[in-house]
Amino acid sequence: MLRKLLLAILAAVVIGVLVAAGIFFGMFEKSVVAADIEQQLSADQMKALAQRGAYVAVAADCYACHTARDGAPWAGGMPFVTPFGTIYSTNISPDKENGIGNWTRAEFHRAVRDGVGKHGHLYPAMPYASYRKMTTDDVDAVYAYLMNREPMKVANRANDMSFPFNIRQGMTFWNLLNLSNKTTTEVSGHSPMWNRGRYVTDALAHCGECHTPRNFMMGMESSRYLQGAMLDGVLAPDITKAGLTQMGFDPAVFATFMKSGISAQGAMTNQMFEVVHFSSQYMTSEDLQAMSAYLFDLENLPQKPELPPKPEPIAVPEQTATSARETYNGLCAGCHGVQGMGIPNVVVPLATNASLRLKDAANLNRTILHGIPAQRFPGLARMQPMPAFAANLTDQQVADLSNWLRATWGGQQPNVTVQDVQRLR
Amino acid sequence: MTIVTRKLSLTLNDKAIGPIDVPETMMMQDFLHEYENLTGSRMGCGQGICHACTVVVEKDDGSLEEMRTCIVGAHWFEGRKVRTVEGQAKLGTDGEIVALSPVQQAFIEHFAFQCGYCTPGFVTGATVLLDKLKREPIERDAVEQTITDALDRHICRCTGYVRYFEAVRDLVLKTPGLVKA
Repeated sequence: MLRKLLLAILAAVVIGVLVAAGIFFGMFEKSVVAADIEQQLSADQMKALAQRGAYVAVAADCYACHTARDGAPWAGGMPFVTPFGTIYSTNISPDKENGIGNWTRAEFHRAVRDGVGKHGHLYPAMPYASYRKMTTDDVDAVYAYLMNREPMKVANRANDMSFPFNIRQGMTFWNLLNLSNKTTTEVSGHSPMWNRGRYVTDALAHCGECHTPRNFMMGMESSRYLQGAMLDGVLAPDITKAGLTQMGFDPAVFATFMKSGISAQGAMTNQMFEVVHFSSQYMTSEDLQAMSAYLFDLENLPQKPELPPKPEPIAVPEQTATSARETYNGLCAGCHGVQGMGIPNVVVPLATNASLRLKDAANLNRTILHGIPAQRFPGLARMQPMPAFAANLTDQQVADLSNWLRATWGGQQPNVTVQDVQRLR
Repeated sequence: MTIVTRKLSLTLNDKAIGPIDVPETMMMQDFLHEYENLTGSRMGCGQGICHACTVVVEKDDGSLEEMRTCIVGAHWFEGRKVRTVEGQAKLGTDGEIVALSPVQQAFIEHFAFQCGYCTPGFVTGATVLLDKLKREPIERDAVEQTITDALDRHICRCTGYVRYFEAVRDLVLKTPGLVKA
């Protein structure tokens, strides 16, 4: 009896090891790159595709990650700090030694859509889970465009990942659990605009990579698609219809906000500032409107603006209001205005500010404590730097200010605690 | 429309002021100009960028801090000790200038300014820097960068900054105790 049990356990272990080895060596990996992609593109085809590729690469925001600050274009080197170590983006210029100069069309497709590069498995910091849904034509166009760039002789920086995450092949497990083989974003019964919007949102602009929360495996949680996630202590807000409406957007305003980075709801900051800077400002109005229509779940954009109603102010305790007013008149009103109207090209309004309407106060509190650098926006618009007030205000003063601002202009419960503020210092 | 006022008391250039009624939302600069006739702190950008409007605030521990008056409300200074450019020089009994402050003297000697609009801000900024170095002396090779970091935010449109920079550097180097031996 015991012998049988031991044999069964041994068999289970052997099968388990075999399955794990099978996963590890990629036996269960399914490429979504069709066999005919092995066929190389002709020089004429490459030339013809390159121009459109420039646009696709912009919409997919390739440059922002594949170019280090003050680094050579497309030469990689941008660090991504993860809980498992630091990953550096790679050189994707057509340099034969350091870049993708020797990559075939199929190798490029597999890197972008399967997450398997010529040098081994990629880490999902490269959003191949989203790019997987890109069309063959679009990936070809990006390939043609990149191969037409200037080769950059810049060596790739070695990643600094801890064991076992430094074993690239181990990503086969992640891929098995997190990569969908459903590669089309098209949903029949919806308008071309809605469908284009879904393609732009999910495949090209890979919005879900930040705005969809991740599970314990760091995979996108499809049940909470685009409902907002914390990234390094900053909230990438809910951008579903409910979330955008909560922030005060209507479809038309949201589309122009993605283009200009500035609206009555505030100015893009943090990583979204970079998205506007490198990507969305160059996207066509049609694509941005399609994205907006999709996010608001509309077949077409409405003709008339339909701004959501202002939130109802919530009363705060007198003590909170007194403390907050003192701080606001002392340190905030000089720029944001007593009525919170802001100054064009200087400072954003607060009375209509999206950050005050979010359920989570982290973004507002961080901004009060640490400020925002000066930012240049498309069309010569700019915002002056917001000073950091960490040294001028106590945790209590920040909590009071935050509660009062959120309750008065954002309609949010005054639930920010001193500890909430303290954690962000 | 009524303007809501509140009592304001502070120490301004070593003199106790108030309590006086000051509009709740008035900026410090307007208070200095309109209530105290201290027009030295300049209105430049009105957005907290040019730093022509700064004043020295003496903190409880005696250390000095620079604050912009165009974007900070007058009531924020309640109970604080403030020094404007008018309070930098030593005055005689009749209010005549007996001695300029070391920073002011250095600016004069180096012909640091032309139109002078930004000068009150530079005097304030350099005074706060000297106070900081007195508390935390720096290495000789850090002097230039420290001055740049401290005064970079001050905007001047006519001197090209070089003479301001040289004046502050000379003063830092010749004032004992600011640079580690």
